[in-house]
Amino acid sequence: MKKLVIISTLSLSITAIAILSGCTAQREVAAQKSGAELWAQNCIRCHNIPSPTAYNNDEWETIGLHMRERANMTNEQIGKIVEFLQAAN
Amino acid sequence: MKRFLIISIGILLLGGNSFAQDSKPGRTQFMVRGYGHAGLDYLKTPDGTSLSYVGAAFSPIFIFKQGSRFLFEAELEFQLDQNQLDIGLEYANLMFVINKYLMVRGGKFLLPFGTFMERLHPAWVNRLSSKPLGFGHDGIAPSSGIGIELRGSAPIGGTTINYSVYSTNGPRLKDGSEEPDEAGMLNFENYIDNNINKAIGGRIGYLPLYNSSMELGVSFYTAKVGDKGSVYENVRSTLWAFDFSYVKQISPIKGVLDLKAQYNQTQVSDAYYLELEEDRDTIASYTFDNFSRAYYAQLSYRPSMSGNNFLKNIEFVSRYSKLNTPEGSEWESNADELSFGLNYWISWRQVLKLNYSFINSEGGHDATEGAGKQQSNTLFVQWAIGF
Repeated sequence: MKKLVIISTLSLSITAIAILSGCTAQREVAAQKSGAELWAQNCIRCHNIPSPTAYNNDEWETIGLHMRERANMTNEQIGKIVEFLQAAN
Repeated sequence: MKRFLIISIGILLLGGNSFAQDSKPGRTQFMVRGYGHAGLDYLKTPDGTSLSYVGAAFSPIFIFKQGSRFLFEAELEFQLDQNQLDIGLEYANLMFVINKYLMVRGGKFLLPFGTFMERLHPAWVNRLSSKPLGFGHDGIAPSSGIGIELRGSAPIGGTTINYSVYSTNGPRLKDGSEEPDEAGMLNFENYIDNNINKAIGGRIGYLPLYNSSMELGVSFYTAKVGDKGSVYENVRSTLWAFDFSYVKQISPIKGVLDLKAQYNQTQVSDAYYLELEEDRDTIASYTFDNFSRAYYAQLSYRPSMSGNNFLKNIEFVSRYSKLNTPEGSEWESNADELSFGLNYWISWRQVLKLNYSFINSEGGHDATEGAGKQQSNTLFVQWAIGF
């Protein structure tokens, strides 16, 4: 039980420190990220980066919603990634 | 029944094609995605060796999207096992986007208990041909459940947080009346609620770096697990998982470094179970600290920035995993696994894996009494594709 409390406290502390250290510069960079950057940085967290030509525009819309749910990504991230894939395919 | 299912799937596939042929964009979209794999296993244990072609597994995922907010998805699993075709329903759930920060889903869904079973287990995503010890359908933690869930994510400064909270029917405690050697185990594949109590769980994931390369997650799950009206009615399970992921393309090493880890622990409250003594006439009761844990750490490297076309598709992977089940139980076991792999990526979603695993194990309800520590070595060759 003690171990659990220690691990939980440590995790929450890391989270709190990271939240507090989210500086303005980082915020600006994140907001300005393009769909291509988000595509390269996020898809690779689980699987290889997909080729934009793998699916058509309508299919990317469907996959976008599927991935928003499965990978629990933000509305903004998925929106930008789908826009990029539709433009690049 | 199987014939009916196969015909139904055929009709759905033809339906999917007719949608694809329609060039007009519509509010309704239907897709069939999924994955499959085939392979060869060479297994060497103290009992002997075996060499067998395995797999021929097929997991179609049906996705139906209506408008921009509603999605239904279901995954079937077709797998050959002991000359029989096994068909399973991995998940089937409805999802609705409530707002920018929240989605609701209901039905049978993959549980966000850690990340391995929800995100990383498909054969074309998993870097090795096998799952870590203690993970999967017969693991010490749940992989799916029937219920309802709220989930979402939000940016916080330059970082991202994702969250989930859910309620499901929950697992069932095996009291030993059916399988005495499994007394105290949890059956997570139990989808009919055996009591009024519902399982409650959730996960918080945090991506502290602006480039989303790192994720830290904490998951929680608790439920009463005994049958209603039985002496085990108030037995409760409490599970925790901690997960970590770091994936980044790093220029100095000319490739992608992928580090993943997850720790699961399961605690079931004290209970007395019955066993038949050796004289076959006496029934005795016994108890034990019902605590199990399983964890893994995996490191892979792919020189994706190499100038050599062959080398950039190669991936090196290694994994260590460990499983401990309760001391004093009939299914007490200690096992660890060390695996190495060399993968070749034919495309972004098709891979040829060559893996070798060393597994040391002791105990387990399938083990021969007094067998002691056993080592098994396995060579896997797997060809996997996502579609």
